[in-house]
Amino acid sequence: MKIKVRAFGPLLDIMENEYFIEASDTKALLDVLLQQFPGLAGRKIAIAVNGKITSDMVSLQDQDTVALLPPYSGG
Amino acid sequence: MQWDSRYERHYTLPGFGPVAQGKLAASRVLVVGAGGLGCPVLQYLTASGVGRIGVLDFDTIQLSNLQRQTIYPTASVGQLKTKVAAEQLRLNNPSIEIIEHPVRLSKSNAVEILPQYDIIVDCTDNFAIRYVLNDCCVILQKPLIFAAIYQYEGQVAIFNVPDGQGIACNYRDLFPEIPDANEAPNCSENGVLGVLPGIIGLIQATEVIKLITGLGDPLVNKLMIWNVLNYQSMILEITHRADFHIPDIESLDIKQDVNGDQGHGGDIDTIHPTEIEVYLLDPKVCLLDVRESYEEPKFPLAHRGIPLSILPKRVDELTAMHIIVVCQRGQRSVHAALYLKEYFGKKRRISHLEGGIVHYLNYKKAE
Repeated sequence: MKIKVRAFGPLLDIMENEYFIEASDTKALLDVLLQQFPGLAGRKIAIAVNGKITSDMVSLQDQDTVALLPPYSGG
Repeated sequence: MQWDSRYERHYTLPGFGPVAQGKLAASRVLVVGAGGLGCPVLQYLTASGVGRIGVLDFDTIQLSNLQRQTIYPTASVGQLKTKVAAEQLRLNNPSIEIIEHPVRLSKSNAVEILPQYDIIVDCTDNFAIRYVLNDCCVILQKPLIFAAIYQYEGQVAIFNVPDGQGIACNYRDLFPEIPDANEAPNCSENGVLGVLPGIIGLIQATEVIKLITGLGDPLVNKLMIWNVLNYQSMILEITHRADFHIPDIESLDIKQDVNGDQGHGGDIDTIHPTEIEVYLLDPKVCLLDVRESYEEPKFPLAHRGIPLSILPKRVDELTAMHIIVVCQRGQRSVHAALYLKEYFGKKRRISHLEGGIVHYLNYKKAE
């Protein structure tokens, strides 16, 4: 299943803003990303699947979009 | 409600009108942080006629702030942000009330300050204060209009406002644990396009107005991401975490907080309750109670009362050469003393009573 991954903010120092990956659920997707981008390890990231932010593991379908949202601190 | 030509464009706006204007006038909004986000929020809420606006910030104005913090004149560099912002805002709209809170937000002063307002706006620039503010707003059930920026992008959300299903999310639903500061360097470390906080701050101000007036579809339990380079924006739905532990009221332990703040107030001259009466024999000494007028117990020794919230407005009434500040537990008095020290410089001696009135009365009882 081909999943579109979008990254934001400081994560762009580590990876491209748009990325395609094969994964069947969010946990598998994160495992693959961590292998490819070790700089993601230990970072606090909120995950949104098709526009819905969730901490649960979610099964992914072909063409789903997963957004990786880091915290911003500036004001 | 009295007709005020200042708001004519609101009165004639379909869907808004004098009723919505009246709601703004009856509202009390606290803006935490008077920096890049805080300036536009303050300026537009003031112009819009929000009845009472609190400005909370402990910092002074730096030259490098002026590229985006447009409320401050160049000549104000070095002065307290709350003081200068309040002066400018009063000039802009003298018919509303502007309250200065020249303090660093902590759990203990949040418990005192937040209840004075209906809506809180998070314009802070670091994770430590963001999490204190978030947790206090959860406990006190205060609507929190959150925003944060990074280089060319901003995030905005509304927390602690129940949606149609009665669910209210907060910042810990996004990020349960406080991130390391290096996960998202702030503007001073990583730069920011000057107009970005202007745009994101105005979205925050818009959400405040929508929430007060019931207009449109506010970002309740939604996170908006807005990018200035390509004008792409996204609105994401936030899910409440079932495993989220709402901090209980015990976590607002004041003693813990006083310890946390020792470094900040460490250079303030401290007077012990056993010494206070001796000091007061000197006519050059003035005892200043900075609690609100309704707070109990009343202080049994001769004193002046000017609440911390309006101290900057009335500071010139203080003529004594040595001012000893007191409050309930010796927490607000540190903040007030820091402010007075900054205001008077070396011309006056500024002290505070250790442990506040509570400590003094305990000592008298034991005596």
